[in-house]
Amino acid sequence: MDGDVVLVIVVATALVFDFTNGFHDTANVVATSISTHALSPRVAVGMAALLNFAGAFISIEVAATIASDVVDAAAITPTVIFAGLVGAISWNLITWYFGLPSSSSHALIGGVVGAVIAAVGTSAVEGAGILGKVLIPAIVAPVVAFVIGAIAIIIAYRICARLRPGPVTRGFRLGQIVSGGMLALAHGTNDAQKTMGVITLALIANGNLPSTGFHIPTWVIVASASAIALGTYTGGWRIIRTMGTRIIKMDSAQGFSAQGAGAAVILASSHFGFPLSTTQVIAGGVMGSGAGVRLSAVRWGVAGNIVAAWFLTLPAAAAIGAASYAFTSIFGDGAAGPLILSVLAIMLGLTLFARRIRQGQPVPTV
Amino acid sequence: MSLAALISVLTGTVVDTEALLDSVLASLVAGIFVTVAASVAIFGFATAAEMQRNGRDLAALGAGILAGVATLAFAGAIALGIAVMIHG
Repeated sequence: MDGDVVLVIVVATALVFDFTNGFHDTANVVATSISTHALSPRVAVGMAALLNFAGAFISIEVAATIASDVVDAAAITPTVIFAGLVGAISWNLITWYFGLPSSSSHALIGGVVGAVIAAVGTSAVEGAGILGKVLIPAIVAPVVAFVIGAIAIIIAYRICARLRPGPVTRGFRLGQIVSGGMLALAHGTNDAQKTMGVITLALIANGNLPSTGFHIPTWVIVASASAIALGTYTGGWRIIRTMGTRIIKMDSAQGFSAQGAGAAVILASSHFGFPLSTTQVIAGGVMGSGAGVRLSAVRWGVAGNIVAAWFLTLPAAAAIGAASYAFTSIFGDGAAGPLILSVLAIMLGLTLFARRIRQGQPVPTV
Repeated sequence: MSLAALISVLTGTVVDTEALLDSVLASLVAGIFVTVAASVAIFGFATAAEMQRNGRDLAALGAGILAGVATLAFAGAIALGIAVMIHG
């Protein structure tokens, strides 16, 4: 009975994480299109939500679940998953509060790693896996996106240099709609699967699914797709503002270059099996498309804050994940710990959300 | 992290350096190809419209063909991207 209660809590928390993932990462897909007026804000988030939903159904190979190669699979229990999710959701909300685009995937990995360390110690952490699957791609991918964004904007400006600005702006805005759609589809495919993987892992750990030869239940796919789409539609407007206007003041050619660079890096990395953060890639592309025009076009102070948040994501989410596990273990192995923590987290989250909403208009009127 | 893990990074056992380099190269080629294709398409369409306004029909036709080819190349890159998403 206790196991089933914990499972229900884990599934609900995973869907909340999925919602915050969509909410937090909307900016990756729509920020450049909104800031260059390629799409109106509501149309942009509506399109992104629909394509995120569709993307979740494109591929359901949850072969690379979020924790594989990062922690010892034997150390994963529903309570560890729950604590890891709390760490990830908390970090997503903290970075949203400050309008910082950070990686939801790294937050989830950090949360799970922290919870595992609190549960069984550092021996269950695969250091080489974290380095090879998380840290090195996290450094390489935004740098590559930066370089491509810079080269792309130089090429675009050269080719279209002698044309009247009207057709060029309209052309690149059209290109942005296509490349933004690609990004939304890729985001739905990659990120909704993480939630599907987490829920499937919990179902296996609770004995609801066999550990081999299982099929992901349809309700898991539909629920994950719906949660990420709903989160995307809600829109993390503060991060959208940071990504769309605070790093650089961009035109449609720069927006297209950033999105094209991002889509190219994400799809090439997926093809070669390197998991990476869409947030970091798009931010790298945006900075590159600004620096390609002139270095001073990038607000390096804002860029520095964003990069600092990237470095903090893993340890901060891990610390919250570890603290969450330690808190739940005070109440024993049953459902009491996760239940009490869930109630506290919901209250804290609602307070934070209400306070932030009161501080300013969340939806831009552009 | 242990020293052994650090050494294995350098020797390429933690990170598949060949795949990583392939990934970087593919990203560069794809990103630049898409930008060139879109830019040439915009250039072609805008030039064709201007030539037609100036009564230079043959030049407009040439620019139109260039725009069409570039648009097809752009569409092909998008289709390839969707195929990568579906098949990995």
